[in-house]
Formats: sequence, C-alpha cells, structure tokens
Amino acid sequence: MIMLNNLMFFVGKPINWTTFGIAVAIICGVALLMGVCIMLISKLCAVEEDPRIAEVEGCLAGANCGACGFPGCSGFAKALVDGTASLDACGLTSAQGKIEIGNILGIAVGGTEPTICVVACNGGNNCADKYAYQGYGDCASQELLAGGRKVCQAGCMGSGSCVDACPYLAIECYEGYAHVDPERCRSCGLCISACPKKLIKRVPVSAKVYVACSTECRGKDVMSACKTGCIACGKCQRLCPNDAIHLVNNVPIIDYSKCTSCMKCLEGCPRHCIKLVADNIS
Amino acid sequence: MLNNLLVSVGFNPEPLDVFAIIIAGLLSNNIILVQFLGICPFLGVSKKPGSALGMGLAVTAVMVITCVVTYPIFTYILVPLGIEYLEIVVFILVIAALVQMLEMILKKFSPGLYSALGIYLPLVTTNCAILGIAEKVIAYTVVDGVITMTYTLTSAVLQGLFYGLGFTLAIVLLAGMRQKVDKLNIPKSLKGFPITMITACFMAMAFYVFTLLK
Repeated sequence: MIMLNNLMFFVGKPINWTTFGIAVAIICGVALLMGVCIMLISKLCAVEEDPRIAEVEGCLAGANCGACGFPGCSGFAKALVDGTASLDACGLTSAQGKIEIGNILGIAVGGTEPTICVVACNGGNNCADKYAYQGYGDCASQELLAGGRKVCQAGCMGSGSCVDACPYLAIECYEGYAHVDPERCRSCGLCISACPKKLIKRVPVSAKVYVACSTECRGKDVMSACKTGCIACGKCQRLCPNDAIHLVNNVPIIDYSKCTSCMKCLEGCPRHCIKLVADNIS
Repeated sequence: MLNNLLVSVGFNPEPLDVFAIIIAGLLSNNIILVQFLGICPFLGVSKKPGSALGMGLAVTAVMVITCVVTYPIFTYILVPLGIEYLEIVVFILVIAALVQMLEMILKKFSPGLYSALGIYLPLVTTNCAILGIAEKVIAYTVVDGVITMTYTLTSAVLQGLFYGLGFTLAIVLLAGMRQKVDKLNIPKSLKGFPITMITACFMAMAFYVFTLLK
C-alpha cells in the first residue's frame, strides 16, 4: 500500500481509487468476456481433422514448393491421407520420410529412383541469333516473337524463365544458356513447365552423362546454326558398348537402365554435346 | 443508389458524407500512402498481386468488424464510465479476440475462404492500420466536459470499409509495379527492397495530389 501511494509522485496528483478500480474491472471484464466467447466458439466450431494429416505433414520435406500440384505440403499431406495423391509426386522428401509416411498410411512405397533436371541444350553463345532481342527479359515473351531469338528451334535463349521459377536457386544462366546445378536440384519440375522450349529433362541422380542438345533438324542445318549442336551423326550410337544410346528423330536418347557411365560417347562426340552432369555444379 | 440501399437496411447517412468517405478512404486520405500506417504488410506482402489482394481483403474485413465493435464499446462503455484513456488497451484486446473468433468461424463454415486468407488473417490482428482506424472513427470533441462524437456508427463502419479498400488499392498497385520493376535492368545495389521503397515513395507523392480534393 505504501508503494502504491508513492505512485502519486509519478502521477502528480492523488490517485482516484474508484476510477482505478473501474479501469481494472473493465479491462478484466472485457478480457474475461472475450476469453469465454473464444472458448464457446472453439467448442461450437471445432473442425475434426484426421490426426494422420499432421503426422504425414511432419514427415514431408516442408519446402512448400507446390510442384506436386497441391497447395503446399499441408495440401499434399491431406491428399495423401485421402488417397488422391501418390507419394512419387514429391521429389524432395527423403527416402526415410517416405518410408515413415508409408507406415503411417499403411501403403507400400515404390522404390523409384530420385531424379534431377538437366538442360538439353548447350548452344548459348555458340548458337547463332536470328535477331537481337532487347526489352522485357523473359523466355516466354521472346518465344512469341518468331519462336525466340535463336536460329535453332530448340535453342535455349538464356533469358532465365527457369531461373525465376526455381525455388531452390539451382539454375543459373551463363555462357548464354541455362545450367542446372545437380547438387541443388530437387527435381520439383517447376522449370520444366516454365521453359517455353521444353528443353529441361529429368535424368536419374546416378546418371553421369546426358545429351545436351534436343534439335531434330538435319545435320547440315545444325552445322550452319550452332557450333555445339548435335548433327545426328550416330557416332555415339556406334560407340556405346551397352546399346544404351539410340537416335530418335535425330536426337540421341540415353537409356539409363543400360548406361554404365563408360564415357565412350562423351569422348567420341565430335560436337561435344554429350556432357557430364557434374560439369554444371556452380 | 448506394444511399437507397443503406436506407433500406436501416442506415440513414447523408449522401454527401458517403461520397466524402469514399474519396477520403480510397484517395485523399489513403491509409498507407497519405497517412503512412500499415507500411509493414504494404512492403512485406506485395510480391505478388494475388497475395496482395488476399492481404488487402483480410485487412478490409477486419477493419469493418473492428469499427462495428469498438465504436459501441467506446461510446456506451468507456465514455459513460469516464475512462476514455483506456481505448488503446481495450481495442487491442477486443481486436485480437475478434480475429481469433472470426478465424475459427471461417474454418468451420467457409474452409475455402479460410485457406485463401491463410496466414494473413492472424497477421492483420496487430496491424497499426487497424488500430489507427479504430482510433480515428472515435474522434470526439469535449465542450464543457460533455463528450460529443464526431462520427455516427454508420459513418464509422463506412470509414472502416473504404479505408480498408484504400489499403487494398495501394497494396495491389504496388504489387503490380514490383513485378514489372523486378524484371528491369536496375543497378545491383538498388535491386529488391531499395527499389521497392523508391517505388512506394513515388506512389505516395502521386497520391498526395489527391489531398487537394479536401
């Protein structure tokens, strides 16, 4: 009480204890009223949620990249519990996490190998331009102008639509074309849908080499347009000891189930358009 | 037409007042660009127009509800008891509790809207723009110890609505501009937040022209 009376020196006038009491009572009353209301409403409006949803969400990667097609990891967890989504749609959750989710939901988890993305083009500055492009810097807008500024119909324009789309900062544009850093890529697939040329492809993480060109043009046309484009000579197909490379529509396709990473194709390619995945580590 | 609509539901404001509130809330007295309240979400949630619109609508909804509740609390509880100075404490308490309740009700009856507003609804609880409007609409004059309210309840609620829409307008405009500015070739030291501040500054200067409308 003595301490409270000392308060007078701060306030500068005698404390009106009635007003003080009313103020405290009003604040406490309002707080109590609001507390009771919140309690009542939370009882009335309780939403029953499957407890497994929270458990599954705890096992997911939690990056909220949206590549699975559901609104964030919580949306994906809900779809998993409902049985409307497949666990394979997420490329980021660890194998351990997927096994735990399988245990929670009582489903078998497929042993699919994780993938990473590569850009199937290495033209860039080596590939001729049809016209000089200046202005709004986006691949999608360039694509609208006569199919992009590159002479090659399947040439990376290097304007970085994929760079903007990547939530993991894995893509960089240098030497005139996009490179996916295999150490950062989580294969979410957002760049695949962002690229107007559809140049970004998925390969298994164990893959050492990839074909860095996807032009379907004849060798003569490629020769005149690009210094590093595939001319469909078929040398890689002949060199491969495991019969893993085949030309389809003038593009070499590697069958990674047969590839032993012997590097014969990479060493033999006259145009240097079969590349090491590890070359793109920034 | 707006006036007829309001009269038909029991409100009876002067038509000129309604017009003045609309102009003040959206343009001449814009809560962000003229009064500089609520800058935090203005810069924080304006990366994409979609999320900016969500934030703006959440702020508008909370502002209206705040005005509906805090005005009667002030007029009928705090003023008769002579403790007007407690307004800020009581308002913060009431606003926080209301948003909590609103969130639970939305979760039950409108899960779609709940997930659309998402994190923005609890975020606006402690926004200074909300408290600023709650303070603004309870403006009063004291003549011989008698307190006279400057605004009626109807006017207070309308102000909550249009100041909220003014907030939405400003944040969506900035979000649209930021998307374009991010693509431009600007000096590295200005990229990101600095250029956003400069953009916001020019927006505020442009909106200052509207203060002449008063």
